[in-house]
Amino acid sequence: MTNASPLDSAAIELDGLRHRYDMDDVLRGINLSIPRGEVFGFLGHNGSGKTTTVNILTTLIRPTAGSARVCGLDVEREPMRVRQLIGYLPSDIRMYDHMTALENLEFFARLSGVERPRSAALETLDYLDCADLAGKRVGTFSTGMRQRIGIAQAVLHKPVVLFLDEPTAGLDPSGVRHLRETIQRLNSELGVTIFMNTHQLSEVAKVCTSIGVLNHGELIYTDSIENTTARFPDEASLEGIYVRVEAGA
Amino acid sequence: MIGSTNSRIVVTLARHEYRAAARNRVLAALVLVLVAITTVSVLIGAIDYHSQVADYQRYVAAARSSGVTQTAPLPLQVLSLLRGAFEYLEIIGAIIAIVLGYMSIARERTSNTLMLLQTRPITSMQRALGSALGALAIIATLLLVTGAIAVLCLGVIGGDWLAPPELLKLTLALLATIPYMGAFYCLGVVLTAHARSLSNGLMAALVIWLAVVLIIPQVGDTMDPDNQVPGGLFQSLGVDKPTELKVLAKFTTYEKVRNDLEEASLAKHYERFTFGMTDVKDKYRGFTLTHLLHEKRNDIAWLAAYMLVLGAALHRSYQRQPALPRGGTP
Repeated sequence: MTNASPLDSAAIELDGLRHRYDMDDVLRGINLSIPRGEVFGFLGHNGSGKTTTVNILTTLIRPTAGSARVCGLDVEREPMRVRQLIGYLPSDIRMYDHMTALENLEFFARLSGVERPRSAALETLDYLDCADLAGKRVGTFSTGMRQRIGIAQAVLHKPVVLFLDEPTAGLDPSGVRHLRETIQRLNSELGVTIFMNTHQLSEVAKVCTSIGVLNHGELIYTDSIENTTARFPDEASLEGIYVRVEAGA
Repeated sequence: MIGSTNSRIVVTLARHEYRAAARNRVLAALVLVLVAITTVSVLIGAIDYHSQVADYQRYVAAARSSGVTQTAPLPLQVLSLLRGAFEYLEIIGAIIAIVLGYMSIARERTSNTLMLLQTRPITSMQRALGSALGALAIIATLLLVTGAIAVLCLGVIGGDWLAPPELLKLTLALLATIPYMGAFYCLGVVLTAHARSLSNGLMAALVIWLAVVLIIPQVGDTMDPDNQVPGGLFQSLGVDKPTELKVLAKFTTYEKVRNDLEEASLAKHYERFTFGMTDVKDKYRGFTLTHLLHEKRNDIAWLAAYMLVLGAALHRSYQRQPALPRGGTP
């Protein structure tokens, strides 16, 4: 048991986090602390260990060594309490195709222990400007529509930390813009801390307040966007900064 | 408070399971086949029963008119007309239960919703219970429909509405179908959850079904000399009971192997119980219900044991179920 209150602690703390798949060291001792209220962009090439980190933080898999805490709660020791505080949008989000958006959300709201699940589902759809999707079957949705309902299922129980795994994958430009606006609103209006795995550096520059760069399972860089741009004044874009950080690893 | 939250989550999962199964076309087709052939079987039996009762009544009338006061009792037991229905439940009901179990796992894997479930504050026990309760509710609905059709066919076509004791025996036989089909449901879940691919799990469960429901009971039946001649081998040879027992005493090992083979089959226990309850077996006719249940306690215990062991395996499967697909990208 930890003595820290979930309300006082940092949103996310990784301490010497390691993970191994078969003989492959996917995470090699990551140390990271993300304060509340941040929009954190987790960058790295394919196979660098970003999704594994999210899978550990969302209690889907256990770390091989080290610890991971969400709001001060150890994900291994108190997974049920961690799950009450988090929302999760996996990459390639899919839901129950035979059910309507509202039925899907109501189902997940019930499982999250929301008191008035139907009202919560309707309110969330309304908040995310997709109330028109409520009565439609998810099986008929486009990628963008699925993503919006996916975000709705991740936030309808009002999580403290929201994990987004490659949220822009497969979205058209208007879908990406809508997602960006949603992330900004969730962060600024509801105070949700957001941890986002992504390859879209242009989006990271627009929405994130801090970034971390993972390279072959090692965290090689972490700082606020403000400090990062100040540190590399000759780079016009985050893409250039990212390339230089990776090259220096 | 915690208890009510727990039960609310279990009920939510059970309702979800029930609705998903009810909307599945493959399952609906299987259920339709079962209900249709069960109805035809009971219908034909009821028509035959109706004509045999008419024959019997003509015999009684003729006997009375010729001055005979004592007539033979009706040689038919109305419940025994349900033999076909219970045989279909034994064979197709088990397949339906396996498909239910397979779908329970396949649905979450193929729709990629397993990760969404596993990041909610619900325990593996709640998931296992919710899923099992939903499946049992589907099975109970199926049995209710089958039972109602049987009672209606016997009453309307056969002209013999079941009396309360007969209704009770039919209800008990149908209730025994729940652990029987429940065990096959658990088998479907366990093998699908542990198999490398979903189809491998389903195939493995169907191979076990083939062995347990069709092959093993058939081997046991074939090894029973009494089953080879109508009316029984010894009776057809004119051998009396004491002599029969003397002969059988020389084949105790053989008889034990044969009986053990049958005992190993869940289907055989189900068959023995339901055939006892529905008067299919002559030797149980005239037994009181208490006496019958006492005679069948071994089969009840086996059915319950299979259900419990496979239920525990089902829970274990939910505990160990990986959130991520095998070989998935790290």
